[in-house]
Amino acid sequence: MNENIKQMFKSPYLLIVPSILFYLMFWFFPVILSLIQSLEAPTGGLSFINYKTMFQGSDFKPAIINTLVFAFVSLIIQFFIALGLALLINTNFKGSKLFLFIMLIPMALPQAAIGIMWNLGLQQTGWINSLFQKIGLQSLLETIKVVDGRIVWKNTSGMKAVFLLILIDTWTVTPSIMIIILAGLQNFNNEYKEAALVFGANKLQSLKDIVIPIIKPSIITALLLRLISGLQVWLISVMIFGHTRIPFLLERVVYYAKVLTSSHSDKIAVSYSVVTLFIVLIVVLTFTKVFKGKDWREE
Amino acid sequence: MNKNIVKKSILYILISTISLIIIIPFLYLTTVSFSNTLEVNSYPKRLIPRFRETLVVEYNLDEEYYSISRKNASGSIETIYIVYDFEQTSKYLKDSLNLNVGKDKLKEDFLVAKETNEVIEVKYKKTIFNNYIKFFKVFSGSDKALFNSIKAALYTILISATFGGAIGYALARTKIKGKEAISMATLIVRMFPIVSISVPMAVLLIKYGMFDTMLGLAIIYSIPNIGLTAWITRSIFLSVNKELEEASLVFGANKRQTFIKITTPLVLPAFAASSMYAFITAWNDTAVALLLTDRNQTLALVIHKSMAGSSSSMHYAASGAILLILPALVFTFLLKDYINKLWG
Repeated sequence: MNENIKQMFKSPYLLIVPSILFYLMFWFFPVILSLIQSLEAPTGGLSFINYKTMFQGSDFKPAIINTLVFAFVSLIIQFFIALGLALLINTNFKGSKLFLFIMLIPMALPQAAIGIMWNLGLQQTGWINSLFQKIGLQSLLETIKVVDGRIVWKNTSGMKAVFLLILIDTWTVTPSIMIIILAGLQNFNNEYKEAALVFGANKLQSLKDIVIPIIKPSIITALLLRLISGLQVWLISVMIFGHTRIPFLLERVVYYAKVLTSSHSDKIAVSYSVVTLFIVLIVVLTFTKVFKGKDWREE
Repeated sequence: MNKNIVKKSILYILISTISLIIIIPFLYLTTVSFSNTLEVNSYPKRLIPRFRETLVVEYNLDEEYYSISRKNASGSIETIYIVYDFEQTSKYLKDSLNLNVGKDKLKEDFLVAKETNEVIEVKYKKTIFNNYIKFFKVFSGSDKALFNSIKAALYTILISATFGGAIGYALARTKIKGKEAISMATLIVRMFPIVSISVPMAVLLIKYGMFDTMLGLAIIYSIPNIGLTAWITRSIFLSVNKELEEASLVFGANKRQTFIKITTPLVLPAFAASSMYAFITAWNDTAVALLLTDRNQTLALVIHKSMAGSSSSMHYAASGAILLILPALVFTFLLKDYINKLWG
């Protein structure tokens, strides 16, 4: 029955071939190339000298730690907020449509615009301090002697700064995790939950033992996607703190490729790229292994 | 009953708080984008943009000049300008206050203060989009960057739709081998961190003569989007009713006609959705554009770099950010219902 349409193309494999070539040329080849480049010594020949330089740099350890802390801590915070919000919206309270609509706003914003937004906020005379002043938080903080004058947000450093970035990231991406979980919830048959309640489970139990396991595929998808992009954080950090202040893996890639311009710094950038790629791969593989769900693409 | 009301109130307080947390940063950005130079440098900043300015004008009899004052953020009246020459004043008002008032109009309005010898208030409307126009002037090359962003997005849409659509069709309608492997591959490339191949990609693109071109960028953006398009179109090709196509063939239409007249309209929504995704990928990206272009910037890149400029151009940068946000916002809202289907 499919013969007529099939004949439109002589061989169906012709449909796949261009894409395979595309990926070989623009995906597989660059990955291999990055491996080769990272192993090219400045003097010629293959060696681990680039990796050695990278490992010995004082920025490598903080970059790794910051990136991992950022990715995992933000994931945990965002997941619980997103799950709570998704469950809330799923109760279909009056106005939930509007609420969902509002939640979509941060999802839509380009990273560069988010950078501008929070940069304007975190300046000393920025809108965050303005807001604190207006709602009286500033004077409250001053009376309990937590702060002395306006907070200089941009002076935060180390882990505090990473947590500030986590907060901004939470504002930005929690809605997108929520949407994916919500999609899972909406496909979910409420009768299971009701049955559990009838048989004497309390609400928390039914959530933990019935709802979560059933929407597990959506949760895994959401978390995995989030984890991958969390490991790729850099722009927001650069737009608020500039380069080098709070190093992240990709921030280092951009720094060595674009800010520093010597022939050798390019190699370090590639080495950082390869390390990032490997970390993403390892995290994804471990993650899917640990939370071994079914193939979540298939319903 | 009473417990219910308490519960409901708590719910709505929670919901409103979260909504405010989401809206307020965005609102402030919008307000800054409409602010004039004086407002940008004031503290505390206004949450809601103001579209008029009230100027307090006073005539000094002894020295024979007008002084212009204005209520500042803390509520006190502050003299901002001394008028000796109306042309200069008109220029000042335009630059610092976003007011577009001609010198003759100013002269006429201010004369009241001289004649009555009283302090008068004059109200002017701000030129609302002044900062948006200024954005293109202050950050040179941003008009070209805007054009570049659109170009990169269109290329991405085109590449993703043709390559991805072909895979989607093959997966849904043909009996090729290795479908499992192909759908797995489309998933992997969708999740692939494209930034991490951008550095070696630069070398490659230079070799192919595509470095610093929008086509080069579009190729990178297409890497995840071909997979995504394949996924979306696969499911729509599966769901299109084959009997419709067969009926068309029975009634004498040839295969090409059937494909164009029957199949295409039915699968168009899927292509529209994946095109919007492709657009958003290209439009929102900064990292790849930073690594793979030199002179041909994209709008997002200009916005990213604008922050490094002096703080006196903050409000122009904010206008640029709003311009960058608008298309992304529109497409995300259009895609709203699709997001659910996509990951369900």
